[in-house]
Amino acid sequence: MKRLPALFIFILWLFFGFSCTADKPSMYKKSKALMDTFVTITVVAETPEKADKAIESAFSAISRFSNLIDFFSETSEITVINNNAGIRPVKVSSQTLDLIEKAIEAAEKSHGAFDPTIGPVIQLWDFHKGIKPPDNEIRRKLPLVDYRNIIVDRNASTAFLVKKGMMIDLGGIAKGYAADLASEELRQNGISSGLVAIAGDIRAFGTKPDGMPWKIGVKNPRQTNEKDEIIARLSLTDSAVSTSGDYERYFMQDNKRYHHLLNPKTGYPENNFRSVSIITGKGVHTDSYATAVFILGPEKGMHFIEQSGIDALIIDNSGRIITTQGIKGKVQLEENN
Amino acid sequence: MKKIIKSTTLADRLLFLFLTVVSISGIFYAREALPQGNDVIIEINGKPAYSLPLDINRSVSVNGPYGVTEIEILDRKVRIREAHCPNRICVKEGWVSRGIIVCLPNRIVVIVGGGNERHRDIDAITG
Repeated sequence: MKRLPALFIFILWLFFGFSCTADKPSMYKKSKALMDTFVTITVVAETPEKADKAIESAFSAISRFSNLIDFFSETSEITVINNNAGIRPVKVSSQTLDLIEKAIEAAEKSHGAFDPTIGPVIQLWDFHKGIKPPDNEIRRKLPLVDYRNIIVDRNASTAFLVKKGMMIDLGGIAKGYAADLASEELRQNGISSGLVAIAGDIRAFGTKPDGMPWKIGVKNPRQTNEKDEIIARLSLTDSAVSTSGDYERYFMQDNKRYHHLLNPKTGYPENNFRSVSIITGKGVHTDSYATAVFILGPEKGMHFIEQSGIDALIIDNSGRIITTQGIKGKVQLEENN
Repeated sequence: MKKIIKSTTLADRLLFLFLTVVSISGIFYAREALPQGNDVIIEINGKPAYSLPLDINRSVSVNGPYGVTEIEILDRKVRIREAHCPNRICVKEGWVSRGIIVCLPNRIVVIVGGGNERHRDIDAITG
């Protein structure tokens, strides 16, 4: 009978011991509402304490960054820049300046297919109420859309919008940048494998505890029920993925789909594809390039992909899935699609 | 009672312990294994406030810094019908059958149909 407690502990160990062995890396996941969306961070760590500290630190980094660049906040640095358009340059933090520069780079590389100054035109569209703005209104605002009218002075740490009424909206690049930022923060906290998902902008590094790559589902742009939500699965390690699609914010009018991916040169949506997923090293690139390729269309878009040395999974208007060579073997298509 | 305990053998007691442990551990394992995709969870200020079935149509009013936010469940879909926050991004989100609706100004998060059994091996979704 004296051995009974020992036996009891042994049985307990049998049931719980395998999953709770000290110092064996496990996955820990936590979510938080940030940047007007849901951010989920998964890390591989030896202890829950280490995981929690690293994840909270990454959430704080995203939150601090979000406060700087929030288009809708009255106090963000981006709002101050927009309020001073055509008036004076505004001194901003190095992080805001860095992101603006990255946005200009993406705009230059895509010849304006991605343009962070699209704000005044985007504001005309109400995708929730399904209101298409009058053509003359769009024409009136278009001259305000031109990334070449953003003046960045690195030495003075200022940004200036040349024309009054111009607006920078970094919504098309900020989430990818934030995913990079959070990944770096996790690494600095001793995490060597993790996954940061800010809505559909995802940055992965390292592998899962079993050495397998992270599995990312690609959303089906024409989902009809719960079962066909995913159209493909991607295996990712040390790279990022972002998707731009015509199904996120849209309305139908006269049998035509009006969605939020507007061509900065026309002010109207481009119906080149159903969705474009870009895969490359950093989130700041996947986020902005996904929009750029969507706007550029099949020919120019594929050229952009080749020139940039990035990978893509594209679903065209007929539902055909096109993948680049670099991700062959890393894509698994769902059976029911 | 004592008589019953005395009449048991060591093997009986071990079996009893074994079954008790199986029952308790079963609670934890079942929580992991069962699909949990049929609920709507409403969080206020980061804390779960409501857990509602997705298949019962109803409306819920939640108070926040910008007044009352109306959350509607209809035909296994959820939307924020009315909110008085500055940009109404949450209202513009429209109907959601799986995913998240966030209203940061009102500090409300609506989580719809969390765990789809089919996608348990997926770590995140892009799109």
